[in-house]
Amino acid sequence: MRIRSKASAGTMQSSDLMVVVEPSDTLRIDVDSTVKKQYEHLIRAQIGATLEQLQVSAGHIQISDRGALDYAIAARVETAIRRAAKE
Amino acid sequence: MVPGPDLAPGSAGSLGPALGEARSLIESCGLRFEPGFDDLVTVYEQERLVACGARAGYVLKMLAIAPSHQGSDTLGELVTRLVQSGLAAGQDTLFVFTPPQNAPSFQALNFRLLVTQGQAALLEYGPGLPAYLAAHAAQITPGRNGAVVINGNPFTLGHLHLVEQAAARVDRLFLFVVREDRSVFPFAVRYRLAREATAHLANVTLLDTSRYAVSAGTFPSYFLKRLDALSAAQMQIDLCLFAEALAPPFHLATRFVGEEPLCPTTAAYNQMMAQVLGEHGIGLVVVPRIESGGLPISATRVRAAFRTGDFDTLAELVPPATLAFLRSEAARPIQTQLEEV
Repeated sequence: MRIRSKASAGTMQSSDLMVVVEPSDTLRIDVDSTVKKQYEHLIRAQIGATLEQLQVSAGHIQISDRGALDYAIAARVETAIRRAAKE
Repeated sequence: MVPGPDLAPGSAGSLGPALGEARSLIESCGLRFEPGFDDLVTVYEQERLVACGARAGYVLKMLAIAPSHQGSDTLGELVTRLVQSGLAAGQDTLFVFTPPQNAPSFQALNFRLLVTQGQAALLEYGPGLPAYLAAHAAQITPGRNGAVVINGNPFTLGHLHLVEQAAARVDRLFLFVVREDRSVFPFAVRYRLAREATAHLANVTLLDTSRYAVSAGTFPSYFLKRLDALSAAQMQIDLCLFAEALAPPFHLATRFVGEEPLCPTTAAYNQMMAQVLGEHGIGLVVVPRIESGGLPISATRVRAAFRTGDFDTLAELVPPATLAFLRSEAARPIQTQLEEV
């Protein structure tokens, strides 16, 4: 799947995350999180798995997380990418 | 708490008839209702307005939450809508001013605290300052560097004199041109004229200030040319931000300003600058203005001469690049705009 336009998904409420994706020639993932110190590696692993599953290899992915669980991260990232991939 | 529904982009609704309701909530929270915003977003619960907030460009303001809902996650819901409103308008980074005791509530939403000064804290959300610094990392050189911040509306021989004097005293001079487009000469023109006029100075690097100096976010009253307690507080925020956020990464040891005999806002700003920068160990050098016809050269004088089409005077006030622009067709709309003021 290719990121064609800028899109977002999610909220900034507790236990959720906000995802903003934009087209880019390279893959760049920026993570902001209230639990960044403890869980950044796990958040990045979950984003990486979701991107791989959707076969996304390029784009600028910005995450603003407030302690979301894995399935919420996967769902929000997927939604943002599907919105961004629309023709 | 269960995360709320994900609103489709753009659904952060503006409202017409509920404006009065929002105004009552804002005023009941002890805030002043200020017209002049791009979007007003609301959070309703069982048909009752429980929170609202406005976005003016990239600045969030008048965030109000009903007492019954304070301490809950209503702020998260409100800020979600404001961020969506910003994204829809192309504003990735958002600023908010808040009393320092409220800063942690925003930090819990991944806002970044930029500066705390007196009764106000300034925070930002989004790529913001780290992205700005990363974008300019290649232009940063070590040493004892200096900074000049100008609006350059438009660039004059006075600006050139200031830049030349400053460049001679530092390893590298960063010439920050105010990004904010609230002046008659648009940013692209102000930046280009500054670049052309200083191209002969090898150790001068031009940068735009982005949101981090003399902007709507840091210092809106500069553009209003008005002096009061509020603008004094804003000046302090602006200067602390410069000293704490810009000076360390750019290795700025000295800031240079032109002596200000004409504009009271700028004069007061310069005076406060000496104090605030001094507290942060940054030097301030005030460079005397150069004169033409017995009067100091200023952009105000240039605009007055341009308004009446007095090109003989202009030739003595501005460098060749600015003069060429003022004579060009591209400058006609600006001249018309000045005539209407």
